[in-house]
Amino acid sequence: MTRLKIAATALLLAAGFGSAAAQTNKPAEIGFGIFTFTSGPAAAYGMPGRNAAELVIKQINASGGIGGVPVKPIYVDEGQGSAGVIAEFRRLASDSTNEVMIAALSSANCLALAPVAEQLQMPTFMWNCDTHQLFLKDRYKYVYRTNSSTVPEFIADVLYLLSVKPDFKKVAIIDPDYAFGRDAGVIFKETLKALKPDAEIVVELYPKLGSPSYNTEISRLVSAEPEVIFSNFWGADLENFVRQAAPRELFTRSTVILALGESALQHVGTVLPDGVIVGVIGDGYWLTPDARRKPQTKAFVESYRQSFNEYPVFPSFKMANTLYAVKAVYEKAIATNKGRWPTRDDLVAAAKDLKVDTLTGTLVLREDNDGLVDQIVGVTKKDPAYPFPVMGEMVRYPATMVTPPVGADPIAWIKDLKPAIMASVPKPGSYK
Amino acid sequence: MIANYLPLIVDGLADAALIFFVAVGLTLVFSVVRILNVAHGSFYAFGAYLSVVIGTILAGRGWPLLSLTTLVISPLLVALAFGPLIERTLLRWTYGRPEALQILVTFGLFLILEDLQKVVFGVQPYSQDLPMQLLGTSHIGGIVYLNYQLLLIVLALAVGVSLRVLLKKSRIGKLIIAVVADEELARTVGIDAPRVFMLAFSVGVFLAALGGALASPTIGVAPGLGAEIIVLAFAVAAIGGLGQIEGAALASILIGFTRVAAIYYAPEFQPVVPYLVMLLVLIVRPYGLFGSIGLRRI
Amino acid sequence: MAIRSILILAVVAALLPIAVPWLGFVFTLAVGTGLAALGVAMLLRGGLISIGHALYFAVGAYTVAFLMRDAGIDDLLVLFAGATIITAVVGFLVGAFMVRYRAIFFAMLNLAISMVFFTLLSKLYYVTGGTDGLAVATPTVLGMQLSRGAFDVVMLNAALILMVAAALLIDRYLKSPLGEALGAIHTNEVRLEYLGVSARGVIWAAYTASAGLAGLGGAITAVAIGHVVPELSYWTVSGQLVLVAVLGGIGGVPGAFIGAFFLELVRTLAVGIAGEVWNAIIGISLLIVIFFLPEGLYGLIQRLERRRTNPK
Repeated sequence: MTRLKIAATALLLAAGFGSAAAQTNKPAEIGFGIFTFTSGPAAAYGMPGRNAAELVIKQINASGGIGGVPVKPIYVDEGQGSAGVIAEFRRLASDSTNEVMIAALSSANCLALAPVAEQLQMPTFMWNCDTHQLFLKDRYKYVYRTNSSTVPEFIADVLYLLSVKPDFKKVAIIDPDYAFGRDAGVIFKETLKALKPDAEIVVELYPKLGSPSYNTEISRLVSAEPEVIFSNFWGADLENFVRQAAPRELFTRSTVILALGESALQHVGTVLPDGVIVGVIGDGYWLTPDARRKPQTKAFVESYRQSFNEYPVFPSFKMANTLYAVKAVYEKAIATNKGRWPTRDDLVAAAKDLKVDTLTGTLVLREDNDGLVDQIVGVTKKDPAYPFPVMGEMVRYPATMVTPPVGADPIAWIKDLKPAIMASVPKPGSYK
Repeated sequence: MIANYLPLIVDGLADAALIFFVAVGLTLVFSVVRILNVAHGSFYAFGAYLSVVIGTILAGRGWPLLSLTTLVISPLLVALAFGPLIERTLLRWTYGRPEALQILVTFGLFLILEDLQKVVFGVQPYSQDLPMQLLGTSHIGGIVYLNYQLLLIVLALAVGVSLRVLLKKSRIGKLIIAVVADEELARTVGIDAPRVFMLAFSVGVFLAALGGALASPTIGVAPGLGAEIIVLAFAVAAIGGLGQIEGAALASILIGFTRVAAIYYAPEFQPVVPYLVMLLVLIVRPYGLFGSIGLRRI
Repeated sequence: MAIRSILILAVVAALLPIAVPWLGFVFTLAVGTGLAALGVAMLLRGGLISIGHALYFAVGAYTVAFLMRDAGIDDLLVLFAGATIITAVVGFLVGAFMVRYRAIFFAMLNLAISMVFFTLLSKLYYVTGGTDGLAVATPTVLGMQLSRGAFDVVMLNAALILMVAAALLIDRYLKSPLGEALGAIHTNEVRLEYLGVSARGVIWAAYTASAGLAGLGGAITAVAIGHVVPELSYWTVSGQLVLVAVLGGIGGVPGAFIGAFFLELVRTLAVGIAGEVWNAIIGISLLIVIFFLPEGLYGLIQRLERRRTNPK
């Protein structure tokens, strides 16, 4: 009888271990919910992101997936509006094969999704989400941004402007009317006030996001005769604005800063003169010295061009770098677990203080889950090798120079900047 | 200084021109057929899309100058494709029925056409600014103007005047006026009222599509274009008085100017202005600036 | 008949999500849309078509957001009551001059006000959050802060109870003298005035009630989605409300809700299967109903019911 009992107990224990092992075995596939714009004006920015995702995931799966598990991407179109996006997020999160969300593009959507992600305890990596409001007042456990906010980018724009044009008085701002545009206006103004207090903002325009026509706004800008114009238009808005403003000589009468300008160079760059200040958010430009040096990046650029007939723009790099970062998180977690498939909390632990080499530089995840990346700014420059202008006279601003530290209120930090820092700032063309 | 106000005037008139095409088509259809066509904006969108597509093909084939002709050919195609078809089927069924039902039928049509656009043209934004580029720019008072904008103003005037002349002088115009004034009597004297309705509706579609085609070189064409333009056209038509061509012209100018003035003096409220004006006008004069209860006229 | 239909709908809507959880969210939204559509249907009874009722839908939704953000009110029922009352007051004030207009002018004025509201919501970024809108946190229920999953269940059932309550209330109202007078305005307003009944008064009362209904609908939607945006006041939303009212049938109170459930289900299913054509599907359904089923889906149900009980 006792032997039977021992055998039974052994069997039960084995079954128990077996099922525990079955639970921690690798899943058949892992689902990534990938949120981007594939319709409407924003698609001009969102599709390069989607294209990059398709390419990167195909490559990852071709080399065996993550930890040997294939990745299944599920694309969600942010064009359906916030309500639909949130509903989709909830729906995807209720399916346990979906382990990670790569969301979102629009600031509005990511601000709406962050609390939802936290509620549902779904690890969410914001691949684009530029608004600094994301981590301003709230601390999240499951929400990360694998890129920078726009605060460092806009600060870098001002530094570059002052480097190439230290003397000016009248400044105009035209940004889309939503958090991203409004915040840009504030950040730009405060940085300018701190570093060049005698500058005067003569007109500020916030047309609706997705407006098809800017002709009246352009007339308004032209009549105000500003020496500098700042805009963080993106997507089709940026392309429309450039097309409509160029014949009106806006780009020759003023020094224009197109903070997200690189994303439109291939489509509308031909109408731009040389000398327009353009930026990327972060460091994702395919012709930077770093991008040209890294073999993995050159391969990515080449296969992107083959697949999609154009070169990848910075949204593509943001997406690609995010996916590689998530892969790194998984690999770190799997290594820590000695092969056991990571739970959500394992992923969170692995993401802590993550530092990865990206296609175009390095990404560091801070303790507030925000990303630290260098910022690149340049000017348009014709290049005989390409039918569109490229970014020339580039500067690579180190992340720590232009990013407010953890816990600091960005505006307060900006107010403390002194014009004297211009002496220690890298010069245009120094990034070779 | 006049020079400072010239850009304002040109912008206001160009803006007014574009909205005039759509609003006058809407008001014409309402006047003859007595239906407020919610789908009117969709024809605008189709005109824009088609013009961009044909223009791009022509430019690709090496005939860029021809892209100017697409601005007129595309609306013709849209009118031929949709005008008689929709009037004969959907609209004819709604004559005499309650207004709520008529508006709903056109709303249903709007929903269908919105998706038809997405299926035919996709959801990516389009643009083709070749016609605008071809016409170049003028320098007036130190400010650069697009000759295209000036063309729009001239065309709007031409269309407005032609419509007026057409209605007053031509045979078909007199038939339309007869049908508008008293349909029953018109039928009694042998006027083919159904034909008149079909023609009037098709002209309305043409005008809306023309607005879209003419706007397309200066805008980005993307889904949602129709929805935005129709509510603005409603506002303009209501302000001018439903069914009044001169009303539509004046209301367009009013809205064009107030919008542009807003951008110069109170940019934050620029989108509110048309609807605020609509509200104020309707409260004071529910029939619009030119409308009236009594005689049915056009 | 009406009561029975509504109760059946409520019970089915309460039970189905137990098997298919994500339906709970869809049904909650359907109740929100249905309440607003009921408001529109009431006015349609009186021959008045409002293509601007999204105004009240948005007022109700934003009221919830403002109450939570600025007044610190957390309780679900207080939020609902507050939204309904405040929206009804707005409707009362707007109705004061709205009742002078009929037919197309009534429609246009409603449209104008809703678009003014829409553009104001979009532009007053620092007050309303502009085009990004405002977040709506999870309210407390009877003092308790529930997990979102539990809250969603409570929310659905609260919405369904409110649906039944509103249906009963409006059903009673429509059968009361005030409600019958509303139908009489459609038929012959002058005759009604000769009977000593103030047409304007009747319309004013109906308009206020319909605003309150739409406000409650907006409040439910705001809490369910957790976010409010200016698009809630856009003219296409107003159009959808009229569509839902007619699709469901204005002959009886359940019509608005049947139409709303139909719309939300089609929308959810279509977006997953045929994302680009769900508008067209709704549009075609609308046309089919208008041409072949003028009494709406509820009218169809009523006819089938009559045929069942009186087989000839």
